[in-house]
Parts: sequence; C-alpha cells; structure tokens
Amino acid sequence: MGIFVLGYYGFLIIASVILAYVGWRKWFLMVFALTLVSFVLGIVGGAPALRFVAIFAIVLAVAAMVSFAFKEFLVQIVRPNIAKELRTAPLTASFGMFVIFTYAIGGIFAPLIAPYGQAEVIAGAFAPADSDMLLGADQLGRDVFSRIIYGARNTVGLALIATIGAFVLGALAGLLAAVKGGWFDTFMGRVADVIMSIPSLIFALLMLSILGTSSWVIVVVVAIIYSPRVFRLTRAVAGNIVVMDYIEAAKLRGEGDWYLIRREILPNSTAPLIAEFGLEFCFVFLLIAGLSFLGLGLQPPIADWGSMVRENATLISFGDITPLIPAAAIALLTVSVNFVVDWMLHRSSGLKEN
Amino acid sequence: MTTFSDKDILLEIKDLEIQGYSDETWIDIIKGVDLTLHRGEVLGLIGESGAGKSTIGAAAMGYARDGTRISNGSIEFDGMELTTATEGERRALRGSRIAYVAQSAAASFNPAHKIIDQHTEAPVQYRIQKRLEAQEDAMELYERLRLPNPDEIGFRYPHQVSGGQLQRAMTAMAMACRPDLIIFDEPTTALDVTTQIEVLAAIRDIVDQFDTAAIYITHDLAVVAQMADTIKVLLKGEEVEQASTVEMLKNPKEEYTKSLWAVRSFKRDQKSRPTDGTPPIISVKNIDAAYTGGEKVLDDVSFDIYPGMTVAVVGESGSGKSTTARCITGLLPPMAGEIQFKGETLPPKYTDRNKDQLRQAQMIYQMADTALNPKVQIHEIIGRPAQFYSGLKGQALKQRVDELLDLIELEPSQYYHRYPPELSGGQKQRIGIARALAAEPEFIICDEVTSALDQLVAEGILRLLDRLQQELNLAYMFITHDLATVRSIADEVVVMQQGKVVEQGAKDKMFKPPHHPYTDLLLSSVPEMDPNWLTDLLEERGVENVGESADVNQEPPDGTAGDTKPAS
Amino acid sequence: MGDLAQLVLKRLGYGLLTLLVVSILIFFAVELLPGDVAEAVLGQGATPETVAAMREQLGLDRPAIIRYVEWLGGAVTGDFGISAVSGDPVMQVIGTRFVNTLFLAAYAAVIAVPFAIVLGIIVALLRNSVFDRVANVATLTSISSPEFFLGYILILFLAVKVPLFPAIASLSGDMSFFQLLERTFLPALTLVLVVTAHMMRMTRASIINLLASPYIEMARLKGVPPWKVIVRHALPNAWAPIINVVALNLAYLITGVVLVEVVFVYPGIGQALVDAVSKRDFPVVQAASLIFAGTFILLNLAADIGAILTNPRLRHPK
Repeated sequence: MGIFVLGYYGFLIIASVILAYVGWRKWFLMVFALTLVSFVLGIVGGAPALRFVAIFAIVLAVAAMVSFAFKEFLVQIVRPNIAKELRTAPLTASFGMFVIFTYAIGGIFAPLIAPYGQAEVIAGAFAPADSDMLLGADQLGRDVFSRIIYGARNTVGLALIATIGAFVLGALAGLLAAVKGGWFDTFMGRVADVIMSIPSLIFALLMLSILGTSSWVIVVVVAIIYSPRVFRLTRAVAGNIVVMDYIEAAKLRGEGDWYLIRREILPNSTAPLIAEFGLEFCFVFLLIAGLSFLGLGLQPPIADWGSMVRENATLISFGDITPLIPAAAIALLTVSVNFVVDWMLHRSSGLKEN
Repeated sequence: MTTFSDKDILLEIKDLEIQGYSDETWIDIIKGVDLTLHRGEVLGLIGESGAGKSTIGAAAMGYARDGTRISNGSIEFDGMELTTATEGERRALRGSRIAYVAQSAAASFNPAHKIIDQHTEAPVQYRIQKRLEAQEDAMELYERLRLPNPDEIGFRYPHQVSGGQLQRAMTAMAMACRPDLIIFDEPTTALDVTTQIEVLAAIRDIVDQFDTAAIYITHDLAVVAQMADTIKVLLKGEEVEQASTVEMLKNPKEEYTKSLWAVRSFKRDQKSRPTDGTPPIISVKNIDAAYTGGEKVLDDVSFDIYPGMTVAVVGESGSGKSTTARCITGLLPPMAGEIQFKGETLPPKYTDRNKDQLRQAQMIYQMADTALNPKVQIHEIIGRPAQFYSGLKGQALKQRVDELLDLIELEPSQYYHRYPPELSGGQKQRIGIARALAAEPEFIICDEVTSALDQLVAEGILRLLDRLQQELNLAYMFITHDLATVRSIADEVVVMQQGKVVEQGAKDKMFKPPHHPYTDLLLSSVPEMDPNWLTDLLEERGVENVGESADVNQEPPDGTAGDTKPAS
Repeated sequence: MGDLAQLVLKRLGYGLLTLLVVSILIFFAVELLPGDVAEAVLGQGATPETVAAMREQLGLDRPAIIRYVEWLGGAVTGDFGISAVSGDPVMQVIGTRFVNTLFLAAYAAVIAVPFAIVLGIIVALLRNSVFDRVANVATLTSISSPEFFLGYILILFLAVKVPLFPAIASLSGDMSFFQLLERTFLPALTLVLVVTAHMMRMTRASIINLLASPYIEMARLKGVPPWKVIVRHALPNAWAPIINVVALNLAYLITGVVLVEVVFVYPGIGQALVDAVSKRDFPVVQAASLIFAGTFILLNLAADIGAILTNPRLRHPK
C-alpha cells in the first residue's frame, strides 16, 4: 500500500468524523458512503481506481469553487434586481455561466490567444505535444490547441448565427400565428408539422448534399430545420397571452398586429423565449457538430470542432485522447447552456406555482 | 341552535403555523390560528383568497400540501396529536374518520375508474365493508343525495356525469366510511346558482342525518350562513373573529367582518326610457350566433339600451350573456340579425369598424388581473386609448391621464409610473374603468365587474360607475349574476337562458311577480344572507323543484333543452 | 366507439398526408440542383455523351411530375430505382443495411426503454432528493454530449484501454446471435446512454405532472397507501405520456443511429446515406431519407394513436 492509498482513506475517514461531529448529516452520509464504496473499489481496481476517484473529486471541487466565486463576482457587478435572481442560481448554473463566459472570451479574442494560425502548418503530422504545442499537432502538422481556440469562434459562431436565424423565423411566425389565428395559424402549424416529421439530421444531409456546404447554406438550412420548434413554443406561449382580456381590449381598440406583438405579447413572454433560445442553441450546435463530423460542416482549412474529431479519430485506437478534446469542448458548452436553461426553466415554473 | 359542550370536542387546533416555500425561503402563510370543533358541529371558514382557509382545512387532516409545512402548533383529533403522529397513523384517519370534499369534483375524480369503484375504495381498504356491501351502501347514499338513477349512476365514468351530480357523488364518497369529520373545500364554487342550491341542500341534509361534524370552507357569506353553526373569519392567515352564525350575522365585532357583512346600502333611483323619440344608443336586433363549428349559442336575441341608462343582463354560465357582449363589440360576428348604434347599423366584425365606431363600445372586465397587461405602466394603459383615438401627445396626454386618474379617485402622482401587479383588486378595476373612459365612449359594457371583489370594494366601484354615468351621461350594459347588484344599479333587466331572452323589462316590474318560471327560479336560487333562507326556500318549493330537476324551459323539450352542462 | 374509431382514422389519414407531403419535398428538393442529377453526379469533367447516357439511364428526359409518380409508386413496392453511382438497384444497396440498422436500434431500445422508464419513475418519486439532483446532472450531461463523443469515449475505455469489446462493429454472415450481440455492444451502448437520458427526463416530467393532479391528492386524502396511489391512481393515467415518451425516443434512435454507425463503421442505412451524400448518389439519398422520414412519422403516429386509445374519456364516451 502506497502513501497515496493511506492518505486517501485517512482523508475520507477524518473528514467523515469531522462532518459527523459538526452534524452535517447529508454531507457525512455522502462522504462515509464514498469511504465504504472506496474499500470495494480499492480491492477491485487497486490504486489506479482510487486515483481516478480522487482526481474526479478534486476536479469537481475545483469546478464548484470556481462556479461559486464566479457567481459571487457576477452578483457584485450587476444591477440589484438581477443580482437577486442570480443569488438563487445553483452551482450547476453558475458553472454553466462561467463556461459560457470563458468560451465567449476565447471565441472573441481567438487570434490573440491562439499561438498559431488555424491553417498554419508548423510541425510533422501527429507530432507529440511539447512546450510549444500544448496539445501536439494534427494529421497535417497544425497546432491542435490553436485550432481548438479558433474552433470556439468558427463552430460556436456558426451555431449562434443559425440559432438566431431559426429563432427570428420561428418566433415571428409563432407570434403572427397567435395574433392572426384562423387559416394562417392552421397553415403555419401544418408547415411546422411537415418540417418536423423529417428527422433533422436526415433533412440537413439531404439539403446539404443538394445545395453544397458553404457556410450560409448551412445557416439557412439549419435555421429552417429548427424554426418549427421555436414556432411551436412561441405559438403556445403567445397563445396563452392572446386569450387575456387586455389583448381583447387592445384588439377592440383597433390596434394593429405589430403593436399587439411588440407592446402587449413580447413583454410577457421574454422568460420562456430566452430559455428556449438556450435549448435551441444546444440542438443547433449538436446538429452542426454532427454535420461537420460527417464532413458536411465548415470546409477545410477552417478549424471546426466536429471535423477535427473526424480527422484525428485514428489516434483513438492508439489510446491517444487528442481527438476527444474538441468533442469534449462541444459537450462542455452544450451541457453548460443546458445547466443555465434548466435553472431558468425551474425558476419560471416555480414562480407559476405561487 | 344547538349548543356544544367541551367534552364533545372532536378537533382542537392550537396556535397552528404553516409555512409555504417560495423564492428559496419559507414564508408564513398561517400565523397562529386556534380552532375548536365539537362533534356534529359545522364550522364555516370564510375569507378572501389567500386567507389560508384551504390550507387549514388540509391541516385538519394532518396533511400539508407539497411546498408547505406545519411549522408550529398542535392539531388534536379525538385525543390523537396529528403533528407528532407517524404518517401511517395519520393516513389511517383519512377517508375513514376524516374525509375531504374538493372544489372541483370533475378534476378530483380519477378519470380512469368508475365512480363507484372510487367510492368503495376506502371502505374496502379499511375492511369496514366488503366490496358488494360497499356498493349497496353507495347506492343508498346516492339516493339520499337525490342523485338521479342511484342504482346506475355509480357505474359511469366521471366525465359522463354533470358537475352538480359529480359534486354530490363526491359528498357520498366522503360519507362512505361514515366519518366523524368532513372537510368541504369550496364544494359549490364552480357551480351555477341553480345547481348550487341542490348541492347545498343535499350536503346539509346528509350532514344532519349522520350528525357529522364538518368544516365548510367558502368565500361566499350567504352560502356559509346556510350551512354553518359557527363561523370563523380569516384574513391573511390570521383569525379575525369567531361566533355562532346568528350572532356573527347580527353583531359582527371587527371592522373587517363588518365590511364583509355590509349589506348593499347603495341604491339609486330607477330611470325610465326617454319619451322624446331619442333612438336607443345600442340596439340588438334578432341576433343568432354560434362559435365556429359549434351549436347555436344565441337565438333571436333582441333588446335596446337607451342613453344614460343601465341595462342589466342576467343569466347563468352558458346563457349567452357574454356572447351577446362579444357580438356587440364585433368579436363574434352574428349569423343573423344586426347591431345598431344610434340607429345606424354597425359592421358585424370589429376589424371592419372605423375608429369612431370602435371608440363607442368599451368594455370593463370581470378579472382586473387579466384585463390589465402586467408589464405595462399605468399611465400607458390609460394613456394609450387617448393617444390612439384623440392623437394626444406629450403634455396634453399627461394632462389627460391625470384627469382620468382624478376621475377614478386615484392620486395621479402616486399611480402614474406603477405596474398593475402592485395595485389592489379594487384599484385595478378602477384603472380598467379609466381605460374605458379614456376612449370617451357613450356606451360601456360592464362584464361582471364587481363579482371578483369584496363587498365593500364592490360597492365603491358601483358608486363610482353611477357617478360617472351621471357626469358623463354613459349607458351601461351590465352583465351580472348577482341580483343585489341588479337591484342597486339597474334601470332595466334582461333575463337570458340557453341563448334566448326569456324576459325583459323595467327593474321594478322584474322583481315583482308574476314572472317567467326561469326568472323565478333564478331569482330564488341566489343565496341570501339570512340563515333560514335555504330552509324556507325548500319548504316553499319542495326539494324536487330546485336546480336541475326544476322544469323551467319555456318550450317543450326539443332535445337540447334541459340538457345539463358538465362543469369543466 | 364511433368517436374513437373516427379519431384514430383521422389521425391515420393525417399521418399518410404528412408522409405524402414529405415524399414530395424529398423528391423535388433534388430539382433545386443547378443543372440536373446527371451533371451533379458526373461533375464538370464529364463529356456531354456520358451525361446524356446517364440522363437516359435515370430517365431524366421526362417531366419531373411523371418521374415523381413513378418513383412513389416504386417506393411503395420497395423499388427505389437504381443508384446513380454504381448502377445497382437502390434496394440492393440499402435493403440489408436497413435491417441492420433496425437490429441495432432494437438492441438499444430493448435495454433502454425498461431501464429508463423505471429509473424515470423512481426519480420522479424521489424528486428534489440528492439522487434526483445527481440524476438530473448526469442525464443533462449525457444528452448534451454529441453521439460521437460518447462513442469514442466508450471505444477508448472499453476497446482500447481495456479490450473488452471490438471497436469496429463489422458484421459477417456466419456470426452466431451471441457474437452479433457482442460485436454491436458498443454502438448499442452509445445509443442507450443518449436515449436513456432523454427518456428518463421525459418520464420524470410527465409523472410529476401527473402527481400534481387533484385526483391524486384526493386519493391521498382518502387514505390510500402510497404504493396504491401510484399503481391504481397514477399508472392508468400515465400510459399516454409513457407511450409518447417511448415512441418519440424510438424515433430519435432511428436518426441518432447515423452518427453512431459512422463512428463504429457499422454497415447500416445511416452509413449508406452518408456515403451516398459524399458521392452525390441522389437516388440512394432520396430513398434513405424517405425510409428514415417514414419510420419517424410512423412512430409519431403510433404515439398519438396510443395516447388516444388509452384515454379513458375517449374509451368510455358519453
């Protein structure tokens, strides 16, 4: 038994004793349960398994601390009414906000942060990592780290534009359908049904195989594919508002559709729409990542996370995790957005119950 | 009046505090309430929404709804302390010794099972009766509650039975184990007045027959006066006062109770139609209407409204009174007939009307909460019509808004920049009135404007409407089901039933017999504050001649008449 | 019963109509090509003669409407024309592959559906507990990860670092069923991870929604024990939402399979579609798209009809 294993168990046992003494029941139970599980794990998997648990726990703890600090930081710098909302954010949501913030910085300042250009060949194919190249080189000898930074700008940027497109298209149609009602409403509903009855990835493959894969084609196709989702949600949210008497009063006054949408409906539907924007971004982002993984996304030599996974996939069979890094970058951003959205949805539904 | 002695105490609640979870903190919703209930006693709990009556009702069963917790106090039921009892012990009381009757029977019956199977669930589980015995017993209870076809009705699914019948079936279900205590949580609130009366009669009879104690929760004073031996008044989670029903009605002690009890003192003189040949301001002529794809909901409706007069349109839900309003405003173009404004025909659809025609027909709504956009400031709500119709801008607009706020007796500087959710119910209703006035109309439709408000506030609104009528010579179409309101403010009355006008005329004539049997039924079904009202009425009419069973259709049944509308 | 049959028929009719519109969309989308299929497939370097020959082979000289009717007529009988690249019948290219895909999806579904529904119900009953929160974070993480990320992680740990399963799911004709299960274990597991997360969350939401109904509170206030509240009062009303959850996720499986097939080089219809897209073999693309869309519509249809059939209000009309 090495010093690590002894320290590991010692730490857990002392921690459980302290927690039991101060009476933090939940934490004590968790730590002690972990201790018991670790005995079994230690016997089965040996020191490596315990090391994995320890690293996992440390990463979790660091992430929690960073999230907490970031939340406190945000609470200090924003206006009081927003700060009050922010205080209710759980750690997962704070973590999400922190990650989104980091990606935004990375994407905006990519050329300043990345040591090399995204198409710059600086080493041999699959050159290993050194002090110059943090993550080594890809199949053409380009710096993987720089390409990941640029990817934050290219992939995320593309997904963001497509989401905005889907959102504007869907939300506008949904609001108009709710206000106008009648055949327009029915017709738009049917159009949405048809688009949604073709699986999104399949639809995208079909359209991109026909129209080619320039960035604007991707944006338009993806926006059209995902706009029905926004349409349905907006239609439902606005549908609950248009039955209100104040809308009837405004209609009877003779107000136009545009006034109804802008002054009466939109101010009352911002919360669900913002949450939907987050969800929509996740869908769009995953679709675009999937497309570029299949070689139908942004075209080389532009750095793009999905295609980076594909290009370096052969490394996996040698046990090298380099191709997983861009994939993890995709997953991390999506999960972060989902964490924030989850909190927002929980809040808006919680408010309804009161 | 029975008196109760201390040794018969069934339920004793002391210093009860309940908290609700919202915004990540626990907030007190019940702040130290005491309650004592004797065997066979019926206690009425009354108060506005948010008073905590329903929460106390659930607590009497040792039950805290999701998101609430009993934080302090004791609840002792027949010698057993419920706050410290185990969940199993508490559960063993529910259904067997304490039963519950919910507000919406339609939502509280499980749609997947037959009524009688839900009825027999508790007695079978508690091994009080075998399944078949329990079914026999259920049928007997159905009969006692005067349900039609008592042997058969239990074998239907909940959605196959009308709202009033379902509510009685639920009362029967509560009786299944012959409990010592039943909690009635607003059991007739969702029902029409003519249906309500038979449910009230049935509940009262069965509670009397089995000498069951009950806590009767409601916001309707007239209803509680019929049902309860003792009344407890609650306000925002605290007790205001408690006394026997007779005592409470005669001599309320606290100011708040007095304000609830205040009998409408307001009454104004009845006006009659102008005789100089002035045309009616609004004339509804032979209107038929239907919603798309539905049955006809208005059938040959006609009435006139003259300038400066108030016409009350009364009827139950589904009678077509609100639909008539929708036809007048142009939201629902009629299939036949027309609406005339000062003798000229209005386009049937509001989108085809010009600004001046739109301006003339303003509405004030029942629920001020949904009538005002919560995200728009008061000055914009009131100012928008003035800006829209009269083109006012800048200083002139601000002046007009101030003027309107003065008119509705709200201090302009205080309310100018506020949002509707910051105001009280009465203030919101006043803003709704100001918005209608901002269009400078000659005719206003008031849709149940006072029914969501407390007595005193409602009376203030009625006085305001009357003052405005005199100052601005407004004509009102007053949609209501509350006869006290009709008495105090109407000049003429139109009675509607199932889309038809059954009777119309000047108010004084309408309140004097003889009148149409439906008018009679409607007038007599509205509960009054007198504790003997229900008893007297039942003696007068007989139990078989109230509510759904009373036959008041003016025409021989044509298939649709007499159908009961299930409550949704 | 009349109402019920009418509703089901109406829904069936609507499903068929949707399928028809989708087939029109898929067929005529190709007409958006600059030039035509022959030019697109052969590229710019082709001689006019070869282009003309291919046009004749694919029947492109006739009006699009006629070709559509023929194509749809063929599709109904399983004949999707011939591949523009290989010249083989499309059905020969994708027929067995479709069966492979169905096998993989079924494999994943058999594991995921019971697992996810049971877990979803448990999480709903334990809502707001530590277990619920951990499950929430775990499922969110799982649905946020692209399928290829999960797939490669599984390959890294279960095929490369600890060689338990093959990383490449190639099939051959003479494999036993057990071998087949072993070969396709990793792709199936990838799908299971994603779909279970989705399904669990949806099951949890619909059960919680159900438990908030007044009739559940009524049952509790009637003294019905907790297990009986679930079995007798919640479950009979939970079928519609659960059927819906299952069908939606099976539909999701059918498309999620594309990326997983590519990661594991599995000979399914998704692979064929991706290959055809890169070779611009439009008859194959159209056929595969129609098959995917058809399955998707069918499953949605099944969900809706299931919901109609289990609704007590519709089963026992007035």
